[in-house]
Amino acid sequence: MLLTANAMSRRMRFGLYLTTGVIALFLLLPIVFIVLLSFGSSQWLVFPPPGWTLKWYMQFFSNPEWMDAAVASLKVAVLTTIFAVALGLPTAFALVRGRFPGREMLYGLFTLPMIVPLVIIAVAVYALFLKLGYTGTMFAFVVSHVIVALPFTIISIINSLKLFDQSIEDAAVICGASRLQAVYKVTFPAIRPGMVAGALFAFLVSWDEVVLSVMMASPTLQTLPVKMWTTLRQDLTPVIAVASTLLIALSVLVMVIAAAVRRRNEVSA
Amino acid sequence: MKMTATASRQSTPVEGASGATGSAPGKAAAMKHSASLTQRWRGSSNLLPALLFLGLFFFAPLISLLLRGVLEPTPGLGNYAELFANSAYARVLINTFAVAGLVTVFSLLLGFPLAWAITLVPRGWGRWVLNIVLLSMWTSLLARTYSWLVLLQASGVINKALMAMGIIDQPLEMVHNLTGVVIGMSYIMIPFIVLPLQATMQAIDPMVLQAGSICGASPWSNFFRVFLPLCRPGLFSGGLMVFVMSLGYYVTPALLGGAQNMMLPEFIIQQVQSFLNWGLASAGAALLILITLVLFYFYLKLQPESPVGSSNSR
Repeated sequence: MLLTANAMSRRMRFGLYLTTGVIALFLLLPIVFIVLLSFGSSQWLVFPPPGWTLKWYMQFFSNPEWMDAAVASLKVAVLTTIFAVALGLPTAFALVRGRFPGREMLYGLFTLPMIVPLVIIAVAVYALFLKLGYTGTMFAFVVSHVIVALPFTIISIINSLKLFDQSIEDAAVICGASRLQAVYKVTFPAIRPGMVAGALFAFLVSWDEVVLSVMMASPTLQTLPVKMWTTLRQDLTPVIAVASTLLIALSVLVMVIAAAVRRRNEVSA
Repeated sequence: MKMTATASRQSTPVEGASGATGSAPGKAAAMKHSASLTQRWRGSSNLLPALLFLGLFFFAPLISLLLRGVLEPTPGLGNYAELFANSAYARVLINTFAVAGLVTVFSLLLGFPLAWAITLVPRGWGRWVLNIVLLSMWTSLLARTYSWLVLLQASGVINKALMAMGIIDQPLEMVHNLTGVVIGMSYIMIPFIVLPLQATMQAIDPMVLQAGSICGASPWSNFFRVFLPLCRPGLFSGGLMVFVMSLGYYVTPALLGGAQNMMLPEFIIQQVQSFLNWGLASAGAALLILITLVLFYFYLKLQPESPVGSSNSR
């Protein structure tokens, strides 16, 4: 009745669809708005813009501070992705295949960085790196990002590893492959969707990370969100809209890739 | 691995026999024990890299941060006493809960119709609504907050539109106050309501609702007395998750909120960055962690099963 569209009264259905439409627009509003503003000619972010221009993009790409920040962001995100997958992969194997006691607790332990508020992780790691003199280094950025990205890769890989029947790997071993060869040539290709999803999550988490980065940043090394954050506190220049649009564009791109990978997998399965 | 398990089971009687005939039954039992022990802990060494990493860079700093709350500036519970005694700090606590509560209510109200519509129309435009929810979830938090800052400011589009329509004649103050924080955060939390709630709704058998209406329930009472109670698990777990997350948010309250409605995360950062008062910051952090973990425990109690636990039955 309430869960079969055709059986619902017309008035009720109309009301629900209208509400949904309005809320969906509300969800889209800030995203579309900021992308449009980045092309608007008004310095004061007047909307609708009096004209359209690319000058904020030129300002962004010709300003070494913004460019350095963008490059640093990419570097940190790529390194974070690599390390999060490298650490997450063996962990997922151990948690799914191991039969040792306390796996539940360990799983909770590994996902704890997802639950503990970011601010607290940021302050704690900042205190450590302050003592070691590592603040403002690439190392500090990557380490702090890997902490929060790791649960995402572990969970994604666990999910696809659980779907993989281990007897296929065992069959490869019986047929003469070494365990390592079997894992590498049979299991890894089979769980690739989980690995890719985990990598994409890790990338996005790092790419968009603000709180940890603000604490780790120095005047010489900052990521794009940090540069946006510090600029935002002074004025609302349209160049921030450009940076926002770039952040959004990359997130959308990563999401489309993730969807494509998922679809290809559903087809092949 | 299954093969080795059978192999070790077969070897057990042999060991038992040799133990009975041999002079050292205890030794054999010990050997068997250690064999099953290595069997049991097999594969656990794969955990070491991640454990080492988190231990060094997550748990150790976290514990040392929490210790500073009872050690600095003087050992004792002074920081905690100050946190609760000072009325300005108490207001931070109250404000944190108030904002998280309001955000939870609004995101539940806004997320419910979306989850319902997606369940009702799983293909076609319902799929698009789901995509919009996912897009919003994965779009940069900072970008969306900046956008709200521009939208809500005194000379922003929303104020101008309202004034042009003649609804207001003075711009409303919608940023740097409670309104701004609640709008911005409710917006951000909607996806975290929609996804669990939609999963719950999908699992409801439509026939149950049909039965309700056949038995004479009006759509109204069918909604409140059948549908809503069936959605309760999703509403609870989504709402609880949003509440917990809202308690710990920093970026959105810092940008859209004002000085007079500071939340706990901002307070912690301010103590560290501006006042270098690590003791008080640590006490605040301990409080935030405690609340978060207690609420998260309840959240887990609501979940049907743990992702690794279920593989036990294999």
